[in-house]
Amino acid sequence: MTDPSGPSDLPPLAVRKRDGLFIFGVTIVTVVCILAVIGPYIGPYDPTLTTPRVAYPPPGLFAIPGTLLGWINGTLEYPPHWMGTDASGYDIFSRVIAAPRTDLAIALAANALSLLLGVLLGLIAGYYRNWGTEFMMRVSDVMQSFPVFISAMVLVALAGRSTTNIVIALAFVYVPIYIRLTRAEVLSQKSRGFVEAARALGQPELTIALRHVLPNSMTPALIQSSVTIGFAILLTAGLSFVGAGVRPPTPEWGLMISTGANQIILGEWWPSVFPGIAISLTVFGFAVLGNALERRYEEGQ
Amino acid sequence: MLWRYIAKRLLIGVVQLFGLIIAVFFLIRLLPADPVSRLVGMNASEEAYAQAAAQLGLDQPVMTQLAQYLGLQPSVQPGLLQGSLGISWVTNEPVLSEIGAYLPVTIELITLAFIVALLVAVPVGMLGALNPGGRTDKGVFLYSLFAGSQPEFWWGLLFVYVFYYQLGVAPPPLGRLSPMTNPPDFVTGFMLIDTLIAGSLPKFLEALHHLMLPVLTLAFILSGPIIKMVRQNMLRALQSDFVLYANCIGLPKKRVARYALRAAMAPSMTLIGILYGFMLSGAVLVESVFSLGGIGQYSIRSVLAFDYPAIQGVVLIITAISLLVYLLLDLVHAAIDPRIAH
Repeated sequence: MTDPSGPSDLPPLAVRKRDGLFIFGVTIVTVVCILAVIGPYIGPYDPTLTTPRVAYPPPGLFAIPGTLLGWINGTLEYPPHWMGTDASGYDIFSRVIAAPRTDLAIALAANALSLLLGVLLGLIAGYYRNWGTEFMMRVSDVMQSFPVFISAMVLVALAGRSTTNIVIALAFVYVPIYIRLTRAEVLSQKSRGFVEAARALGQPELTIALRHVLPNSMTPALIQSSVTIGFAILLTAGLSFVGAGVRPPTPEWGLMISTGANQIILGEWWPSVFPGIAISLTVFGFAVLGNALERRYEEGQ
Repeated sequence: MLWRYIAKRLLIGVVQLFGLIIAVFFLIRLLPADPVSRLVGMNASEEAYAQAAAQLGLDQPVMTQLAQYLGLQPSVQPGLLQGSLGISWVTNEPVLSEIGAYLPVTIELITLAFIVALLVAVPVGMLGALNPGGRTDKGVFLYSLFAGSQPEFWWGLLFVYVFYYQLGVAPPPLGRLSPMTNPPDFVTGFMLIDTLIAGSLPKFLEALHHLMLPVLTLAFILSGPIIKMVRQNMLRALQSDFVLYANCIGLPKKRVARYALRAAMAPSMTLIGILYGFMLSGAVLVESVFSLGGIGQYSIRSVLAFDYPAIQGVVLIITAISLLVYLLLDLVHAAIDPRIAH
């Protein structure tokens, strides 16, 4: 099969020193990372506790200045619900900014796990070519032909809906990509001069593989990481949306969208629109970043 | 030459499917789930539990279960070799016929979505490639990056809010037909075809109307990767020698672009095939937003109920269809670009 999406012989889009897109991606990713650390503590409400005010709409555009003033002067009877509350009375704003703790943590952990495993296995498969590694590649092929969403759902639902299991399920789904990327790179690196030089110096094969080939073969996998983290966030949210992800009342964007889904045909848009905007921007940010990194790498080649 | 190529691909596909069957079979049994207590309830007596386990065949050694599933060892039910995917533990219906009822919905949905996405994406991607680096190209590129990284279920809900609640031009997201309409007799399972067979134009239009938002949602998401791919392949085609030659001998620009498009579409076929196979299960969230009752929703139901035969069946069928689609599109690819088969 030819690879229709992996060219490096194309003229890159004009890249300037100050690449607006790149800055956009970095900004979003930074904000989400910061929220993953402090998000649960800075909201006006506890993200896992309900308030007595159920299905409050957010303040309208014209009411915002008044609310803001009242909030600063302390004349409000309760802190404003900037994004309203959902049908159970959870404050949506507090939950939206607390959710990166769940979503990003799962995505980062899943990516780290699959990256580690994938790069190691890919190194072995590319460096030592024998029937064992051939068999491993066939297993990886079979794994890659699994329908992604269904296998993630099966793994999480059958192993139990915990954060750890979601991380393992996502890592399982993404490992084959890293194996393939690293193996291809190792194959092209190991015939290069520096490997022969190291061998001529009498270094043991293991040292050559780990110290020389590995660091030079990791770039494609690292670039892929940005894309994988974005998709892992989408997958985490999708799993919660169908009831095979984290359990309520964990603040998680997909779960919040799913909670609001039934209200949307009644016109209550805010419970699912705000967390959706958060996912949309976050994943787009990671995609943009991944793309910018990829372009820089291709230029360097 | 071509036949040997097809035979080789089919053989590889069968081996891959066999590996998949084994992998899925053991994977779901390795996980710490207890389907029996899910079926009989937590508080069932020990006899009831043992009886249920025996009925499902779960009291047998795993290798015996596998042999029975494959149909190598006689049991109460026919196995895979006899052309049966087993009986659903939840509904007691044959899994194959259940999938036969759910699958057409998904195929109908994603096929229409692909047609719409291609109709939009091919011209847009070409537009970007014809003037690389220009303002249009940057816009096109940004759009494709955006559309390709979006939560489709959220966009589906957003479209419901805008087009159903606010504008009132779309039906509510409650299935393939409105709940008040009598569905046509089941012939093919494709609602658009069955309504026509029943000779009811209003029902056909209604079925089409109910697909409006789900198709829009999926087509939006799909347009991202397709535009990106058309743009890249088109750029590469425009840089090739034959385009240079065609320009040199003074062929009209439009004609050159048409030649380049043909050269660009051949490699695009592969990715479209992969996307199509991916969408068979990737449409699950959109199906669930619009309650369409496709294969994705069937798989959600089976997974949440620990219905092992149904899970195995769904994964097997979806993968088999994906592999067939890859093969088919590689054949189309070979027809457009005869160098492939040689």
